[in-house]
Amino acid sequence: MVLLVLLSMLPVLAAFALSRRRHLTVIVGMGLFSLILSAVYLLLHAPDVAVTEAAINAALVTFVYIIAIRKTGRLVVVSDEIPGLLHREGEQISGLEHEILSGFARQLGLELVIRFLPVEQIPRALQQGEADIGAGGIISEIDDNRVLKTQGYLPTALYHLSIQTKPHLKQEESAITGFFSDLREEFQAGKIQACTLDLARFVALSRSDLSPYTVRRLDGLFSYIFLIAPARERLHHQFVSYLSKLEEGGELEKLTRRYFS
Amino acid sequence: MRHRRIGLIIYATILVCCFCGLVIVFFSYQEPARELGTIYLSRAPSETGAANIVSAIYLNYRLYDTLFEILIFSVAVLGVRFYLSDYREKEIVEKIPESQIVRTSADLFFPPIFLIGIYLTLSGHLSPGGGFSGGVVAGTALLLCAVALGANTVGKRFYEPTLRWLEWGVLLVVLSLPLLPIVVDRLPFTELLPPGTMGKVISGGSIPIYNLLIGIKVFIGTWVIIHYFMRHRGEI
Amino acid sequence: MLMIAGVIVSVILFGIGLLGMIFRRDLIIKLLSLGLVNGSVMLCLVSLGSRANGIAPIIRGPENAGYVNPLPQALVLSAIVINFAILALALVFVMLLVEHYHSTDSQRIEHEIKREREL
Repeated sequence: MVLLVLLSMLPVLAAFALSRRRHLTVIVGMGLFSLILSAVYLLLHAPDVAVTEAAINAALVTFVYIIAIRKTGRLVVVSDEIPGLLHREGEQISGLEHEILSGFARQLGLELVIRFLPVEQIPRALQQGEADIGAGGIISEIDDNRVLKTQGYLPTALYHLSIQTKPHLKQEESAITGFFSDLREEFQAGKIQACTLDLARFVALSRSDLSPYTVRRLDGLFSYIFLIAPARERLHHQFVSYLSKLEEGGELEKLTRRYFS
Repeated sequence: MRHRRIGLIIYATILVCCFCGLVIVFFSYQEPARELGTIYLSRAPSETGAANIVSAIYLNYRLYDTLFEILIFSVAVLGVRFYLSDYREKEIVEKIPESQIVRTSADLFFPPIFLIGIYLTLSGHLSPGGGFSGGVVAGTALLLCAVALGANTVGKRFYEPTLRWLEWGVLLVVLSLPLLPIVVDRLPFTELLPPGTMGKVISGGSIPIYNLLIGIKVFIGTWVIIHYFMRHRGEI
Repeated sequence: MLMIAGVIVSVILFGIGLLGMIFRRDLIIKLLSLGLVNGSVMLCLVSLGSRANGIAPIIRGPENAGYVNPLPQALVLSAIVINFAILALALVFVMLLVEHYHSTDSQRIEHEIKREREL
């Protein structure tokens, strides 16, 4: 009889649903459970109860749970779009930093969500708790003690570009503000007079014409780092140990060679 | 681990006690309890005029239980509104991913679902349904719109003070109507309107009025819960 | 016969829900298990009121036999709505807790609270 079949499906479904690790699987399983329970109520000659149970438990409760878990299973990363490190290719996002972050999120069991922000707004977003990790070619010399820093994962160099003008004329230094794509457009339009760029940005800009500029490499050892929100100390420890393990295992070199060879 | 073993032992004892209790309940579910159900079944059609006996029970014979249930629902909605009320405007606004399927299905399905909700509410005394399920189904229709368009967009179409007045006004009416006997010389509210012929739309005494009031209250309460949850957590 | 089957399944579901509530550390899964316990009790009530060849308690004509007991159904109807309201409020509290402590693990939250109290 149909009722006995449905009744015997109920404990199996409940036990299966409550033993899963991902929140979403458990919630969808319990929604399915309440739908079958509503059918059981109908077959037990209780149509009022069946309609109310279906409307409330299967529809509303499932929705309310899904809204409630929205932020708990995610790792939110704010970054600027830098070719080679974290850039969009059509619908996908790829790059060296994206690979590192995806591996980390997979290890933690979270979903990776990337939001694009200009570089100077990243520390504030991290401090306000709107994101967990900041990325996008951030130099280790960044002077901001509001956020936590990781160790450098990739050594880089800083280049200073300036237009060859008469040396006694003062040059305006364009700081890196706004999105990198805007900077690239201004570069191609020739509006930039001087700026300081790191290696990845320099490589991306070298596609356009660099002849009017003098390029001078700055002294010192720099490297790319990640920034972590100050409230997430445990995440900081986990990420630092993850980066160390990547370096020891040699995976970091393989990834770097794939994107920057 | 010790904790796990202790937990398992406690769990097993609780389960065994529940099982024994249930066996006792099962064997003592004797005539008096079933007799009450048979009494309701035999007397309800003539006294209340409603065809749906379950409706007649919880809206006529046991009206006070339903009143307190509405009160609990209102307090829960009040609690949700209070605790999720500090809303700071986020600067990083998440854009709703535009989905053509959701948008089209919201355009297509919102009127029928809303209509089904109204039908369930108004015909609570004739067929399965009633205020609770009707209100929740109508709220689900609004939920579909909120998922497709965004909770703030849908929320702007309601005038907030009117919504508040409606919600609390309906609650006031629902709670004070059964206190009519104090004012009108021992006339219980449930006998105010005549039962009428069973099966007609206008029948069942005061049950359709209560279904309508409860439906409005549950609909507004459901919308408030959805709105505040979506506002606090960001859009889907 | 159906009554017995319903009661036995509801006891099993109660057991599964209780197991989930005790042994899963995640707050949201604890709440879901609580909902499962509620559902099992409601199933028990409704199946206690049913009978072998019953009809739903909606009177369609002058026939007068075989209706199932409508009383447990009225109780369960109230219980479902109250359950939902309490669940919404409990989820609000869980959301606020998770936002503050950045974890849904109940043991970790207790640990952090104990640490805050010591400071």
